[in-house]
Formats: sequence, structure tokens, C-alpha cells
Amino acid sequence: MTQKEMSINLNECTGCGLCQIACKDEHVGNDYLPWTKSQPDTGHFWIKVVGQERGQIPKVRVTYIPLACVHCGNAPCMKACPENAIDRREDGIVWIRPEKCTGCRLCQEACPYNAIYFNEQSHIAQKCTFCVHRIDQGLVPRCADVCPRDAIIFGDSDSPELSALRQHIEVLHPEYETDPRVNYVGLPRPFIAGTVVDVESGEVISDADITVTDLFNDKELTVSTDAFGDFWITDLARDHKYMVKVEKQPYERSLLVLKADQDKNVGEIRLTRDSAPSL
Amino acid sequence: MKIAAPETNRDTYRVVYVAHPASGLARSNFPVECHVAGDKVIRCLPLHIPDEVRLYEIRTSRGTFTRPRKEVQMPLAYAWKRRIHSPTRIAFPLLRADWSPDNPKPHNRGRSSFVRIGWDQALDIVVGQLKRIRDRYGSMESVLVQADGHGQSGYLQSLHFWGHYLFDNIHRQLGWGWWVQQMRNPDSWEGYYYGAKHVWGFEESLGEPWQDAVWDDVLENAEMVLFSGNDPEATGFGMSGSIATTMTRWLRQAGIKIVAISPDLNYSAAVTADKWIPLKPNTDSALYLAIANVWITEQLYDLDYVATHTVGFEQFEEHVMGRTDELPKTPQWAESITGVPAHTIKALAREWARKRTTLSVYFGGPKIRGTMSHLTARIEAYLMAMQGIGKPGRQFLRVGAPSFDKKSLAQVPRYPEVDAIGVPFNPIVEYAIGRAPKSEVFVPRTLVADAVLNPPIAWNGSTAALATSEDQFTAYQFPPRKDHPGIKMIWNENGNQTGSWTHGSKWIDALRSSGIEFVLGIHPWLENDVVFSDLILPVQTVFEHEDLLAVRRSDLLALFYQEQAIPPVGEAKSDYEIHRQIALALGLAEAFPPPQEWLKKDYEQTASFKTLGIGWDEFKRRRVVMYDSPTWEEWVNIKSRYGYGEHDGGLSWFNRDCQGLQTPTGKIEFVSRRILKHAPEDPERPPLAQWREHAELASSPKSKKYPLLVVANHPRLRFHVQGDDVDWIREMWKVTGPDGYGYEPCRIHPADAAARGIRQDDIVMVYNDRGAVLFAAQLSERIIPGAIYTEHGAAMDLIEIDGRPVDRGGNINLIAPSPSEKYPAGERVAIPEMNVSGFLADVRKADMEALLRRCGADSLSAATRGR
Repeated sequence: MTQKEMSINLNECTGCGLCQIACKDEHVGNDYLPWTKSQPDTGHFWIKVVGQERGQIPKVRVTYIPLACVHCGNAPCMKACPENAIDRREDGIVWIRPEKCTGCRLCQEACPYNAIYFNEQSHIAQKCTFCVHRIDQGLVPRCADVCPRDAIIFGDSDSPELSALRQHIEVLHPEYETDPRVNYVGLPRPFIAGTVVDVESGEVISDADITVTDLFNDKELTVSTDAFGDFWITDLARDHKYMVKVEKQPYERSLLVLKADQDKNVGEIRLTRDSAPSL
Repeated sequence: MKIAAPETNRDTYRVVYVAHPASGLARSNFPVECHVAGDKVIRCLPLHIPDEVRLYEIRTSRGTFTRPRKEVQMPLAYAWKRRIHSPTRIAFPLLRADWSPDNPKPHNRGRSSFVRIGWDQALDIVVGQLKRIRDRYGSMESVLVQADGHGQSGYLQSLHFWGHYLFDNIHRQLGWGWWVQQMRNPDSWEGYYYGAKHVWGFEESLGEPWQDAVWDDVLENAEMVLFSGNDPEATGFGMSGSIATTMTRWLRQAGIKIVAISPDLNYSAAVTADKWIPLKPNTDSALYLAIANVWITEQLYDLDYVATHTVGFEQFEEHVMGRTDELPKTPQWAESITGVPAHTIKALAREWARKRTTLSVYFGGPKIRGTMSHLTARIEAYLMAMQGIGKPGRQFLRVGAPSFDKKSLAQVPRYPEVDAIGVPFNPIVEYAIGRAPKSEVFVPRTLVADAVLNPPIAWNGSTAALATSEDQFTAYQFPPRKDHPGIKMIWNENGNQTGSWTHGSKWIDALRSSGIEFVLGIHPWLENDVVFSDLILPVQTVFEHEDLLAVRRSDLLALFYQEQAIPPVGEAKSDYEIHRQIALALGLAEAFPPPQEWLKKDYEQTASFKTLGIGWDEFKRRRVVMYDSPTWEEWVNIKSRYGYGEHDGGLSWFNRDCQGLQTPTGKIEFVSRRILKHAPEDPERPPLAQWREHAELASSPKSKKYPLLVVANHPRLRFHVQGDDVDWIREMWKVTGPDGYGYEPCRIHPADAAARGIRQDDIVMVYNDRGAVLFAAQLSERIIPGAIYTEHGAAMDLIEIDGRPVDRGGNINLIAPSPSEKYPAGERVAIPEMNVSGFLADVRKADMEALLRRCGADSLSAATRGR
């Protein structure tokens, strides 16, 4: 059977939080049996937007990541449940049967994505159901419905919308090896940014060539500084070390080695004119 | 024009269209689609515009731009239902237990408890107090009416202006005299009102240039857009819904570079800007002057345009080049003031000149709500003139739906007939956003605390939003006469003087002052100012009554009929009905017809009735009228009738005509003829705008004691003070302190935090001479060192520590300056501006032990604390 999937495009997510609020609006105080009982007033985040502040002033960006149950094809929670209360539908949706759940909380412990919440009032484990009560009526989940930039795309895995994103999608935490059905576009990878300036003239240097070499695998990237003397090198491999070469005639070139352990604003790279006569 | 078919009612629930809760001022944006079963609101969904309604297209060489059929409002709209039964909801009339007319015990306001009373008794008290005031003081001129806030967004039922309308009728029909009208000042666009209007006019659009067809030009021609404190993801989204984020996407899709200039990396800049230029608060004018210096030095401005479209440029040139004060306003000079490197200033200046550059704002932003922001706005206008505003791609742009927008055409393709009569206009809004006071006795909203505490006061300008520029030089005073008794009673429908306006703590002093005999609060929630009432009349939420929704705060115009979703909570009545009941008791029935009559009459003025022929009953049955947009061909045709070419827009007409502005010369005035005529020697607002030092700058003597500048933006998750009690919003935004309390976050740069021994999530006190407010420190690179970032509107929760009042709730406006501080005591307030962002304070770790000793024991804290 066709599988249901969700792709979340972080390049479009502004962190507005509408998905989180809409999920609560749908589920707090409303039962959708057999799929789920109502969510408690507060404390559950079946989808939750987390902001990641990146870089240092003035090279700062924020990436927002909506986090939810990823409906694993290889779901640790299902294996951990001693009551066999967690099922996968034919369309891939993983759900916790409220009437079978005994509230032992082992699934919560098992979930690597911390996507399962415990309902103290109902004494059951709960999580995102992909709004199965809606999709069975041909609707999309509330989070996808409310997203003002369509950053959340939901549908059949072979739908045109999801197929178009296929080549860009990535798994959040592939090391868990759980075969998730919620995937991402634009997961943050470290950047190195800076501004190239000529301190003698007090001017920024545009069109300087920035060559970045990954010292672990020799991959090379080249960018130029813009009208503000700025450069951004994005999507670096985390914890790799990079040689950054800054060149522009008639300046002496500048070299630095950086570890991409976090997003880095290297600040001003000051070039001085080549003192050697260029005859 | 077409009519959307409403979704048929399901077996299990009814579908009701409910106003976006918090935009207000009698204009709505699109409602939420609310599902109701019995007396329970099940869910609130975004609206999907049906396929049969035609959307507009903006066709350019860079592609075709349109809007999605999905129309989404800010998150608060989908959480608003939580306010129906929130812990602060008022269900019955409440009387302060220790109040009596003869011994009102004013110092106990906000401290003593309330008792439930019946409506009959409540109305008797209100009418009795009005009669007592009249008997004792001779007229209604001792009643201050505060009725000009946003409130909820219906057309009639939930407006905040009914007090003025009621007192206007008391004056005209009963002859009881004028009332004290609190005049809502031009909040959120202060600098344009007090400054830019004297450069380029635009009196009916709050001092900001008209937006006629502006997107046609920007999307075809602009290469760079400067977001000058502009935050469409927060302010734009709140006011006009998801069109604000759609418009930002258009800019990206058109390949237009976005450069954000602001002390803070705001929500839009954080995700959409190509570059952020952080600068110290209140220093934008220094940055602008240095840019002008580069342009003049390198001849990078439009000399021909300046010659034909402006007057007085030579004097500006002299100031910029330092010929008059021996202080050239060079990039190096500006670097020391703004914190922006000189090389960046030069690069920005050249890029602005080289690329077709548009400047964008929406309401708010730190630049425009700080001390003497009028100088900044004027110099900004000068710069736009130097690059030929109105030339292709060089416009003033609002990203989001503007409120007052045009010369003749809408910002995006719309039929002029739809603009003119598509949706009704409720004239009641003129009591809040009008051309002049309706009462002869009035006080600007920024000076009401002074009017209560330190009368007499004198100031210039009525501060009415749509007042003429000329009026800014008219002298006014309160009380109007020597033998006047002053303010004795307060009629408060807003509940946000402490949380959204200047120097909120001073207003608390006013509410507790001995001269105030009676304070009436009319509000749905026991929060902020309302807690200081003697009598509170309970108001309904938008879910609890029928109304008309006039969708005008969007790019599309539409009409919705809002059915009553659920029965009223307790004995709450709508704002309209409460005033109607008081009017009936006073014998003023005619002024307040039943709501249905009023709505029907206004509906019948619309194109839906007149052109489409849909009668009132039919409209109520259909509930939705959405107007088609013109096709691009029709739009181009319409534009040509008004003298616009295919991609003309914004101020292209002024570029062509060289005249026609609402200034004395009809041109852009570097040197204001009006200021020259009325106040040529005014050091605060000279005929030529220039750099001025003032008390709320890092260079001020006061900064030795209070070295940090507070940035206070419009909130993203609240709407001003509205919604801070919503649990879903609180768990998303507040930071839980070690005491379990949800504190308002404030961003501080790690360098400033380290210097003060402050760590992430520490509870800190932000303080100055005006008071102290608690926050949870968030160490962040999103704010320039030397400043802190907050969002206004957190619900006040006053406690006392060591005999000093401290706000635990995080209401930053309590410690914002009053405009009267700028002048010696008793002197006329020449510019009663509002400074709610960009003022000095310091931050230190809070003494949590002292706090824990005190908290919980204080009655006010208990009364107003959220969950």
C-alpha cells in the first residue's frame, strides 16, 4: 500500500509556531478514537518548533526545526511495548492504541526522537498520529494545513509534491537507523562566514576569491565576497577541518585553518597590499 | 465578484466564522473557521479561499506572483479559544470590596479583592456615578474615557470606542457637557507622524508614502530592499495575516536582496535577510547622515531629481559635510555612534545608490518608536529623496496590508469599486483613529498620567492619527480652564495603558492617586490596568456574539457574517451591549439601536448589496462574500485610467509630476516650510532635521548609571498585551524560573551577560529610575552588545521587594520614558511622542531569595498570575 510521508522544508520554516498551536487546537480536549484520546492542556508537544541560533554577531541566522514523531519503518517503540499496543497501519502510520496501553512508559524510553509523551490523566502514552482521523477523510494533518509557507508537505510517498523534494530530503539522525517517514530539507550544517577588508583604505573588499578545502577529503569550494565584503560558506561537514584561502589582487593572500565544529563568524579578514613589487 | 459557498454544517459540529481575535479597530483580517459542538469550540482552522474566487496575479519579467488560497492568521488566533475560560476571565460584574463613593480608598486599587454583584446593581453604580460627578463637578469634563485600543476584531460588538460614542451622545442629547477624550497618539509610527510628514506630507497615511500598485513596481524593478526594523513575520503577520510572509517570499522569489538594519536580528531578518547590519538603538539617523556623506562626496545621488523634486537640499548638504558645525558626518564619525564599521557604512551607501533600492517598514521597529524618532524618519525621507523616491524600484514599501494606503489604487490588483464600497467602514473608529478630537476637552494618551498627577499640563498637537501637520503646532492644555476640577473618574475599555504605552508605572500612580474617585473597567479579563478598577463590567469574547466581519486588513477584501458560536460565559455582554444598556438607563436609546439594525444598515451600503443584490437575510444565510480580483489585463487597464503604466506604482506619479505632495511647496522639503513658519527656533525639531544628542543614548550622562539600551518590539506570539494568559502560548515562550514561575524572556548579548555574571536562564532585573521588571535572561547573538531585547505586552504581575514595586510579569513598558521628562516641570510638551523602545536601563541578577520570600504573599500577584 502507498505509504504516507511528510517532508519538512527548513528553508521555508520561519519558526512561527503555528504547527505547534494547531496541533494543540486539534487534540487538546478532543478524542479521536480509536486512534487517540485527547491531549492534556499543556506539556505535550506532538509537534514542537525548536529554534537554533547560528553564528555570531553580525553573521547570525536562525534555523527552526519542527520536531515530531517520525513514524519509523523500524520503530523502537513498537519493539519495546510489552502489550503490543503500538501498531503500524498499512500506510505506515505508527499509532499507540489507547485502549491497550497500560502506561508502562517503556516506549517513551525506547523512542530515540523523544517524541512520545505521557498523559498523566489518562495514564497512557501519546504522540503524533499524523492526524489519522483527518487523512482518512482525505485531509492533511493540521500542522501541514496551517503552515503559511507550506514548509510541511504531507502525502503519499509517490505524490508529485513529495517526489519533487525526494532528492533534497535528509534523515534527521540517520545514525538511529529507524527508517523515518518524516524527513527534512535543509538540515543545518555548519557555516563559516566573514568580511574581507582593506584596513589601510578602510574599505571592504568585494570579489575576493575564497577557496575552502576540506582537509579530510580534499573537497574544494569557491565563493566570492559580495558588495559588503561578506562571504558565507555553508553546508560544511561537521567537525571537519578546512583550509580557507582568501585571495584578491593586489593583496597578500590570507590563509586560515578552521574546524567546523559550530557555525562561525570569523569576523574581519584584513588584507594588506602585497609589499613585493609585482614587476 | 463571486460568492463562496460556505461549508455545509456537519452532523457533529457547526461551522462558524469568527473574527481574528486581536487586530481590532473595526477592521478585520480573515476570520478563522471555527467548529462548534454544543457550547464547546472544538477547533479553529485557517480559511481556504474557494477555487471559484479569482485571485490576482502580478506579472513581471521576473515571473508571476500571486497569493495562496490558504489564509492563515497568527498563532494566537488558533489559541484564542483558550481565553474563553482562561483563569483571568471575568464572568460577572465585580465590585472592589472596599470601594464606596464617599471613601474610595484609592491606594488600595490593585490590592484589595472584588465581590460579585448583579448587572442591575452594576448599572445603577455606573449611572449613579455619572450623576454624582455631574452634580458635584457640573459636567462630564471630569471623566477620562480610555477607549481607543485594538481589542477584538468585530465590526460592532467588540469595539473599544463605545465609551466615546456614549459620552458624545450624553453631551449632545443630555447636555451634560464634554468628556475628557483620551487621544490615541500615533503609536507605532511616531517618527513618520512627527517627522516625515514635514518632509513629504502623506497626512492620511500616517506620514508614510502611499502604496498604490507598489508591488507591480517593486517586483519588476527593485534589486534591494532595506528592512529598516521591519518585521513582517511578527508585526505584519499579526495585523494582516499570512499575506505578510507571502509578500516576503515574493521578494525572495524575485531575486531581490534583503538587508536588515536594526539593533536586533528580528524574526524576519533571522530567516530571510541576506545581510544584517546591527546598530545601536536610536542611532539610525547617524547611519543615514554618513550614507548621505558618502553620496555627496562621491556624487552618488540623483542630482537632477533633487533639483526638480525637492527644496532645501543645500542646507542638508552643509550639515552632512560639517560646514556649519565643523563636524563632517563621515562614516568614521557614524561608526563611533552606531557601532557599524565605517567600511560597512560605505559599502551600504554605494550599494543603495547602485542598486534600485526600496526601503521597507511595517508598524513598529526600534527605529520609529524611540526618543526623537521624528529626526530619524525625516533623515530617512531625505535619503529616499536623494535616490529619487518614485523612480522604478525605489519606493517606500509596507510588507503586509497597510491600514491607510493609497492615492487611488490598492497595493495589489483590486477593483476600485471593491475598494470603495466592498466592505463597510465603521465611522466609530474615528474616535480612536480620527482627524481631530470629538470632545473639546482631551488629553494625549502619552500624557494622561501627567494630566491626573501634575495638572495643569500643556502640549502641542491634538495627536489625532489623521490630524493635519499644521495641528502639530497648535497649543493645547488640560484642564482647559483654571476653575476646572480635573480628572475624577476613569472609564477604561482598553486595559493596556501600563503594557503598551509610555511609563506604565506612572499610570499606576495615577490610578492610585487620591483625586480619582471612581475607576470603571470594561473588559473580558482581569489583567493589567483592569485589576485597578473599582467596578468591572464583564465583556464577551468574539465567540459569544454575532457580528459582521469587514475584512479590510488583508490584500483581499471580503465580508463575513459571524454567528454566535457559543453562549456567553457567565453574565458577560458584548462591548456594544454594555454601552447600550448604560445608554438605555440614561434615556439614549436612539443612539444605540439593537445590533442587527446597525449591522443591516451598514451592510446595505456595500457592493455586496448594491451591486450583487444580496439582501441582508440572504447574506446572513450565505455568511461569506469574497470579491474577485481583476485579471492582470483588467488591472493594467484600470491603472491606465489613473495614469499609471503597466509596472508603475508607489510614488511613480510624483517622480513624473515633480509636485503634488501635501507640503507647503508640494515637493519634498529638506527644510520644512511649516516648521520654519511655526517653530523656527525649536532645538528639538529644527526646520532641517539633523543629528541630536539626547537623554536616551549611550553618550548621555545617564548612561553611566544605566548603560544598556532597551529594545522593545511588538511581540510575535501576543498581540500587544493580548493573549499573555494563553497557556499554549506561555509554554512556548515563557522561561520557567527556579521558583517554577513562567518568566518573560529577554535577550542579552553574551558579552554584556558575562560582565554582569549573568548566565542562561538566570532571572534578571531590568531597571532604571522608573522601576524594575523581572525577566529570564536569554544569552543571544541576536542583539547588539550594549542593548537588550524584549517584547512588549507581557501581563503585569506586581510584587514588592524591599518596599519597591517590581513587576514579575515582564511588562517592560512600566519603565519606558514619559515624553514630559524631556522638558522642565510645567513647561509645554512640544512633541508628546511615545518612546517605548530605545531607552536606558541596566540589568542585574535578581535576588531570588528576596523574591521567594515575597512571592505568593502579595494579593495582586495572586490575582493576576497566569498558570
